[in-house]
This record gives sequence, C-alpha cells and structure tokens, in this order.
Amino acid sequence: MNSQAILVFSEDADLLKELVSGAKQGTKAQDWRIAAVGVGKEASALANLGEDVLYQVDVDVHNPELLTAALEAAARKVEPSIVLVGATKLGLEVAPRIAERLAAGYAAWATGFEVASGTEGAKVMAQSMIFAGVGIATHTFKAGPVVLSVARGIFDSRQVDGKQAEVVVLDTPLPAPKLTIHGYRPKAMNGGRLAQARFVVDVGQGVKERDDLQITQALANLLDGQLSCSRPMSADRDWFPEWVGLSGAKIKPELCVTVGVSGAVQHIIGIRDSHLIVAVNMDEGAPIFSQADYGVVADLYEFLPLLIERISARGIRPAWAT
Amino acid sequence: MRILALIKYSMDVAEVKVDPATKELRLAGVPEKIGAIDKNVAEAAVQLKEANGAALQALCLGPLAATDSFKDVLAMGLDEVFLVEDPFAGAADGRVAACILEAAIRKLGQFDLILCGFASDDGYSYQVAPRLAERLGLPLVSYGRQLKVSDGQLEAERDLEDGLQAVSVSLPALASIAEEAYPPRRTTLMEAIKAKKKPVNVWHVEPDLGLVRNELEKLSSIESSSQVGVMIQRKQRMLKTATLRESADQLIDLLLEEKVLKGGSK
Ligand SMILES: Cc1cc2nc3c(=O)[nH]c(=O)nc-3n(C[C@H](O)[C@H](O)[C@H](O)COP(=O)(O)OP(=O)(O)OC[C@H]3O[C@@H](n4cnc5c(N)ncnc54)[C@H](O)[C@@H]3O)c2cc1C
Ligand SMILES: Nc1ncnc2c1ncn2[C@@H]1O[C@H](COP(=O)(O)O)[C@@H](O)[C@H]1O
Repeated sequence: MNSQAILVFSEDADLLKELVSGAKQGTKAQDWRIAAVGVGKEASALANLGEDVLYQVDVDVHNPELLTAALEAAARKVEPSIVLVGATKLGLEVAPRIAERLAAGYAAWATGFEVASGTEGAKVMAQSMIFAGVGIATHTFKAGPVVLSVARGIFDSRQVDGKQAEVVVLDTPLPAPKLTIHGYRPKAMNGGRLAQARFVVDVGQGVKERDDLQITQALANLLDGQLSCSRPMSADRDWFPEWVGLSGAKIKPELCVTVGVSGAVQHIIGIRDSHLIVAVNMDEGAPIFSQADYGVVADLYEFLPLLIERISARGIRPAWAT
Repeated sequence: MRILALIKYSMDVAEVKVDPATKELRLAGVPEKIGAIDKNVAEAAVQLKEANGAALQALCLGPLAATDSFKDVLAMGLDEVFLVEDPFAGAADGRVAACILEAAIRKLGQFDLILCGFASDDGYSYQVAPRLAERLGLPLVSYGRQLKVSDGQLEAERDLEDGLQAVSVSLPALASIAEEAYPPRRTTLMEAIKAKKKPVNVWHVEPDLGLVRNELEKLSSIESSSQVGVMIQRKQRMLKTATLRESADQLIDLLLEEKVLKGGSK
C-alpha cells in the first residue's frame, strides 16, 4: 500500500472541500491521484471539489463503525499513502480506527504534510499540534500509509479546476454495527455567528453574576460585536451555549477584548488568531497579559462603564462600520 | 461487575513555556498529575459503582514518579491502580502505547466496562479509546455522558458537536467520557486516609506483560520527530495611567491608531 494516492474523508462538506484542496496543494509537484469518500445518496454533488475519484457510500453518517468500515473499504481499493480525515468528533474516532486497521502511522491535529518519493515508496512528513496546541511536532514517518486528522481552517478551500470526478458507488457489504442509535437531541448553538464576528467581547469568570453580562453586552453592542466566553462560563455556569478554546469555538475577529479571563492556554487557543487582543483583568500577574497586545489592570466593573462612556462620548465606531 | 478506568499521568500544558528566542518548548519542571479529564473518568467509574456495585481498577501507563499521584482517585473510590512503567517515557507512538495498554488489559482479565477520557490533558489526541476498541474488538461509546448499565447493556448519550445522540451497546464495552461530563467529587479526610491502604501495583513491560522493548519500537510508524513551540507575537503593552478614565481614552486612541476603530474627537 504505497501508491501515489491520497484518500480524503469528512462528513462535513466544507471540510471535505478544504481537505481535497490541501491534498492537491500538498502533492501537486508529484501529481498524485486524489480520491474522496462522500457519504449519502446526495454524495455525487461532491464530485466537483477537484478530486479524481469520488467513492459514494450510502451509510448512516451518524455511526462511526459504519464510516470506519466504508473508509476502510475505500482505502483497500485506493491503497493510499496518505489518508486525510476531517478532525470532527466523528473523524477523530474514525481516523485512529483506520490507522489500526491499515497498520498506518497516525498524527492527530495535523497542520500540514509533505511527500517525497523514496526508494521504498512515498515518504511522508507531517506537522501536527502537540500538547493541546502549545507546540507543533514534525514527524517523519517510516514507509507505509499515514493517516492524518485535520481540523477546519487548516487548508484553504481554494476552488481547483472544477473538473468532474469519476463517481464510483462503493457497495461493499458492511458489517452490522455494535452501536445502536436510539435518538438525537439538537443542542443550542451560536450558529457560527462567532466565527464571523469582527469584534468580540470574550468574558471569563471575573464576571460574577449573570446580570452583569449586561455590561459586557453593552460594550459588544456599541461596536457591533458578539459575546464569547471561557469554558467554565458555559460548562459550569451554563450562561452560554458554547465556549471558546481548545475544545470550543475558534474566533478570529479584528478585535477581541477579554474581560475577567485568566488566559489559560486551552482558552487562548480559541482566540489566538484574533488580529488584536485587549485584556482587562484585575490581577496584573494574570497570564492573559502575555497573550495580549494591550493590557489594562483594572476591576472590570469599574473599567467597562468608563470605556463604554468614553466610546459613546467620543463617537467611536468600528473601523468597518459604514 | 468489573470496571477499568484508564487514567493518564499528564503534564499541565498551561505550564509549558516557549523560549522566545529558540522557540524551544521548556518541558523540564512542568508539573504532572492525573489529568483533569481523567478525573472525570474516575468519577464516572465511581458513580457506576454506586449505582450497580462494581470492582474498580485503574490502569496508567506512565513513569514510576506517578506512583504518588493516585491518592485523589483512590480516595474518590477506585479500589486499586496498576501502573505500567512506560519504557518510552511518554514519547511512544500512539500505536505502541495502545499495544502496551492492550497487553495490560488482557493480563488484568475480562472487564464489563473499560472507561477512557475522550482525550488526555496533554496528548489530547482522542486516539486511545478508538484504538483499543479496534484492538480488543469491543463496542465503543465515544464522548459519553449519562452512562447507565442494566441487563448487560450500556446506555449513554454521545456528546457531539451539534447534539446529543442516545445510544446503547452490549457489555463488555468501552466508553470514552465527554468533556466535563463527570466533575470529580471532593473527598473527605477519612477517604484520603483509607486511600493510603489501597494498592498501587507497578508492572514492567518486559517481565510482567511479556513485551520486548525492541519489538515495540518496531511497531512505531514514526522514524523521527522534532518539536517547536507555537509563538504568537503580541505587543504586550500595559496601559499605565493615573486614572482608569485616562486608560479608557488611551485604549481608544491606541485602537484608533491600530485602525480597528474610527471616528470621534477627544
Ligand atoms: C484539557 C482541558 C481543556 C480545556 N479546554 C478549555 C477550552 O476549550 N476553553 C476554555 O476557556 N477553557 C478550557 N479549559 C479550562 C482552562 O484551563 C481554564 O480553567 C479556564 O479557561 C479558565 O476560565 P476563566 O479565565 O474564565 O476563569 P479563571 O481562571 O477563574 O479566571 C478569572 C479571571 O478573572 C479575573 N478577575 C476576577 N474578578 C475580576 C474583576 N472584577 N475584574 C477584572 N478581572 C477579574 C481574575 O484575576 C482571573 O484572572 C480546559 C482545561 C483543560 C484541563
Ligand atoms: N498513558 C496512558 N495511561 C493510561 N491511560 C491513558 C494513557 N494515555 C491515554 N490514556 C487514556 O486514553 C484517553 C485519551 O487519551 P489520548 O488518546 O492520549 O488523547 C485518556 O483520557 C485516558 O483515559
């Protein structure tokens, strides 16, 4: 199993597009073959992402065992040197399972890869996040296939040539799954608004009462922004449907003002792509200040009303306002 | 019922600093302890024991220095810990670590339920539970909450990005515990004292698990690795003014200069 081919899978169509684009860019010098796996009856709509072949499988996308079996079946056909899997919760279960089945190398949270042709076949190098995002490792893999899970936003989904891929229906019999699914309850979500926001007020446990969010909301409203929060504000206090950070949303606004956030690395990972970060915290030793462009050591209950008053009084608006 | 909790002696990644000049990760002296996620695993195990009655063992692949770190989880209600000394000091490829854990699980005998965290605090790679499901041929409920055992079945909710999926599997099974699904209990002094008498057994891969270091090395798919810290350069400028009102004005001025704000007069 060492052909010049990449197999790409994600149940998330946008992420699949990014992966196909990443696969193309990473191998264009060698002109590798790109095969994608699309799930469901409508999967043929995914045949224009730039891949050469689309394997269409009609299985329940909610069952990780079935998707593992489908991806394995595709891998046995394609014999890829690299399998790229979208790092969703489903993908993060399927990817290591596939790595076990193919006796392949595996790196979670990959951020890039390179291929070189060697005497024993393709040689793969990959970069991946380690220690929950604090570092990046570069691995050189031994000969043999390599599975990489890749999060959203790592590869840009540049539209490639727009050619139509050959669609192959994969109808290998799949084993009966051991997992029985009984039902599904949707969660309350911010609906992706945060990811698009250009101004975000990011609140942490320094905000004491739920009613106090009015102050932070007032600042957000004034500059046409959104509120985000640290994990305890959502997971413990349940004031917000979702949080920002390692396991939460990632934001990249022009301006992120954190208030009462200590700056734990797991939180920073969610805000570190912001263009500018301002931190307001009472404790001058708080780690957030080393992650911020501008720091104000202050009680948020004193500082925010003043800031709001000065912004209003001076007629300040966000730079992108029309 | 027999339940096994997999717990990792993890690095506190919040304490890992990056050398600004060389981008090197400063790992020496970073505190290690049973990870916050794996304390949720211990709590889930203890709650299942309270509901159904069970013997609770824990397995950790880690350094001998971990021996003293199990007091909390033993006080919470685990009965016994097996520490397998990690011959690769945490640097093993995921497949190698899974192979060692698998061998230890097989030696411990048949369990009804094996619990992992969805990810470890420091590795954060989400891979041990799916790898063990493959290797042991067990059903897996990943990202589990609200675990209930009855009539040889495990029922749970899988905590997914946009919803909660109700599922069941037959025992024996594996489950990974979702983030913050089982906040660990506080323990009493009495429990802490009792925990001191609970056994922490140390195993070595060679004599105890019948694995040979060189053979394990061959299983690794990684030829070589290097690592650097992620550095994001921020201005880190602290505003120092006599009054907070002046700070507010200064901040606005700076953000005007940065061109993220516009308009206004002094
Ligand atoms: C494996 C793992 C994953 C995690 N993932 C995430 C994640 O994805 N997202 C996340 O956010 N966290 C995550 N965490 C938790 C993270 O480590 C921190 O515990 C959390 O981010 C802290 O939230 P906080 O800053 O709101 O609260 P705290 O750490 O309690 O900080 C509150 C801050 O407010 C300041 N303050 C208090 N009063 C005032 C006041 N009146 N005015 C101004 N400042 C004030 C204090 O000085 C303090 O710095 C994770 C942890 C682990 C172990
Ligand atoms: N060295 C280890 N010893 C015991 N359990 C582990 C070890 N590494 C990982 N695990 C278990 O596997 C889960 C997921 O870890 P990871 O795949 O490293 O993100 C953890 O929450 C633990 O339950």
